[in-house]
Amino acid sequence: MSTHSTRKRRSLTLAGAAVAAALTLTACAGGGAGGAAGAQGGGLDVDLSNLATTTEPGTQPVDVVNWNLPYEPLSIDPWFSFNYAENTVIANMCESLMRMNPDLSTSPGLAESVATPDDTTYVYTLRDGVTFWDGTPLTPADVVYSLGRQVGPETPSYYNEYFLSVESVEQTGDREVTVKLKQPDALFEQAMSVAAGAIVQKAAAEAAGEQFGTPQGGMQCTGPFALDAWKAGKSIDLVKNENYWDAELAPKVEKLSFSFIADESTAINALRSGDVDGQFFYLPPTGLGQLESSDAVTTTYGKSFVFWTLASATEEGPFSDPRVREALLQSIDRQAVADVVFQGAAIAAPTLAGPDYWGDRADIFEPAWSEFSAKSDPAKAKELLGEVGDLSKPITIAIQGSSAVHEQTANLLQAAGQAVGLTIETKVVPVEQYGNLYFDPEARKGIDAFFTTWYGNVTDPLDVYQVFTEGGMSNFGNYTEVSDLISQARAELDPTARAELTNEIQAKVTEDLPWMPLNYMPTILVQNDRISGATASVAYLYYPWAATIGGVE
Amino acid sequence: MSIPSFLLRRSGSLLLVLLVTSFVVFGLMYLAPGSPLSFVLGPRGGTPDQIARVTEQYHLDDPFFLRYFAWLGDIVRGNLGESIVYRQSVTDLIGSRIGTTVALIALSTIIIAVVGIGLGLLASLKGGWTDQVVTTLATLGLATPTFVIGVALISVFAVGLGWFPTNGSGSGGFDTILHLTLPAIALAVASAAYLARITRAAVLEEEGREHVQTAVARGLKPAIIIRRHVLRNALIPITTVLGLTVATLIAGAVIVESVFALDGLGSLLVRAILQRDFAVVQAVILVLVVAFVIINAIVDFLYTMIDPRIQLGSKQ
Repeated sequence: MSTHSTRKRRSLTLAGAAVAAALTLTACAGGGAGGAAGAQGGGLDVDLSNLATTTEPGTQPVDVVNWNLPYEPLSIDPWFSFNYAENTVIANMCESLMRMNPDLSTSPGLAESVATPDDTTYVYTLRDGVTFWDGTPLTPADVVYSLGRQVGPETPSYYNEYFLSVESVEQTGDREVTVKLKQPDALFEQAMSVAAGAIVQKAAAEAAGEQFGTPQGGMQCTGPFALDAWKAGKSIDLVKNENYWDAELAPKVEKLSFSFIADESTAINALRSGDVDGQFFYLPPTGLGQLESSDAVTTTYGKSFVFWTLASATEEGPFSDPRVREALLQSIDRQAVADVVFQGAAIAAPTLAGPDYWGDRADIFEPAWSEFSAKSDPAKAKELLGEVGDLSKPITIAIQGSSAVHEQTANLLQAAGQAVGLTIETKVVPVEQYGNLYFDPEARKGIDAFFTTWYGNVTDPLDVYQVFTEGGMSNFGNYTEVSDLISQARAELDPTARAELTNEIQAKVTEDLPWMPLNYMPTILVQNDRISGATASVAYLYYPWAATIGGVE
Repeated sequence: MSIPSFLLRRSGSLLLVLLVTSFVVFGLMYLAPGSPLSFVLGPRGGTPDQIARVTEQYHLDDPFFLRYFAWLGDIVRGNLGESIVYRQSVTDLIGSRIGTTVALIALSTIIIAVVGIGLGLLASLKGGWTDQVVTTLATLGLATPTFVIGVALISVFAVGLGWFPTNGSGSGGFDTILHLTLPAIALAVASAAYLARITRAAVLEEEGREHVQTAVARGLKPAIIIRRHVLRNALIPITTVLGLTVATLIAGAVIVESVFALDGLGSLLVRAILQRDFAVVQAVILVLVVAFVIINAIVDFLYTMIDPRIQLGSKQ
């Protein structure tokens, strides 16, 4: 199951090629010849079929592993996670009812089995002999508490969308918890393998109250690593859980210490010098070349759910016209974006949800997905715009302040758009306020679209497309064409039938482009050569990825 | 003025300054667009129900004066408030970071004082090509951005030679000094360069004054002339500049903190401003104002020691 795609790239050649590609693209766009030219410049360095899920497990015990996070988590309570740094830490501490494996499949976690007597009932039988770090046994009351607190319209849980259909969570036996749904919902069951289904100790959570999951309030879970100390602003230290129930995932690392180096160049220097032993990157860092050429670290590209997209945020103006959106997408060379903006460490995306979402239904998803192409077609773009007519109004795209990735992609879009007659303007939003675009219509005023690195949580493309539910909180442009189909698909519990419905949704979404697919972003795992074994796929957000790390002789 | 009445007067003006600053800062934060909501709701935003609950919980929709006086009331009772973004009390947030900031500033101050005054003296007393070299170095130090110095120091001394760690603030004691050496140097360069120029100018000015020339003419030992007549008088401008520099370093350390991944008050403040985390901004500003006033008071004390003719709290 371990497929490796570790390689050392020739960073200089690549950088040169990328610059060349950028120049070609701009030059062509300027001359009105279209954007197709730069495509062959960078070459595909990361290919879809060869992404890793694991790295060779290290065999030796290790005293301390220092891991870096891109920022300090705001909370380590699972229901306040849903983001890279938070989940990277929580994945090693708190386990869910089901477990998402490195290959993105699902297997039993804290629940040894789940029964579905009917379409709206899930009976979870808890594993025997599981204890929290403090030695007390895992009980159904903890499960009822952990799930129950996420149900209802008022819950602050970041995963509330997965609990929309839940009617009740009750203890129905010594080791049994039953979840009743109002209507069948395939995504609920799948979400139990991510942090939405993570189980915390009821007593600890109630004792800490609002402080639970903060440096003062601590945490109490069952995972292979226990929280030792969260020194606010400095580090989060985890220690090996000696009594962990799963012998196969017993850690070889005594202490796992997280630092919070936000500055990319500092993080890369820390990795090169060995001050930090590893880090996951969801976007290629600016110094990726330095890491590739360093002989102290190994870089691995893994399967991922993350994609780079331009989400439309308006129901008015030129960008609300699907033809304008398609014209813009046809004018831009997504391979050039991958090569120029992401240094080759990205894949041109024909759709929003990529192949890593397919799971065991690849036979149904793949043929439908293969019908779409990521190739650009400026001639078609011009033709479409000819039908639209009036293009005098500019399209305003919000970009995140001090983000090179946002700015460079916007530059490429501007150049490509200009070549086919679209005027694109950018509006810079500071990084700390960018998050407001996701929920505040006021913040989106005057903005036609914005960039986002999005990901679904579970191995099902439907989890990505469900954002287009009517009235859904991330349906920024209020795109409603597939809303009924989404409801149908969520209620369809047969994976094959659901996959077929999802294909229908995908076809419609890829035609109308409420969100523009740009690139799939592989997980980038960097490990110091003294250790190996971290999970390489995006499962690191939910799977105890550090449990397999060991020393290399 | 006696020491108690000096302290009393300083405390009074400190309170006034605090009140005005807090009001102005609160007002500016209130007027700036944006909200801390996205950090409470999570990266995917929230439902209208969730937004309403959070807005209510943190009184985000309350009128300005209500919020300001509620905050002021808490402060009077000794409660700095809660950070919306971090779900922690502001006291905890500041408490865990103030140590790093104090250590960094202290180390920097020592470097600035030793290197700045040292180089300034060297330049003014030796003259000739030494003066040229120091002046050039000082110009270079003033002109190079802190960020560049930081990155260069990391590349050479941390990654290249491996003498120092690349980031972090260490685990106390010698480890902390080791961790903070490079950041303190990066932070000190510009200020040390500035102080060197001030020192040089002050010493040159004193050297040209009549009482010094008289002393030289009467054949006193050069060492005594420099120590008693030149340095002592030159210390007044040097102390003033040093005091002001140190006070500005606290908030000015943001760039160094980011380059070396130190979490001090500077980066906490900047982040809190951008996140619209009112309570944190207010509290850090209060800490800065208090630090500024205390440093100024210390400088005033030093004046009276350097020159006994100067009275404590006098306008001279």
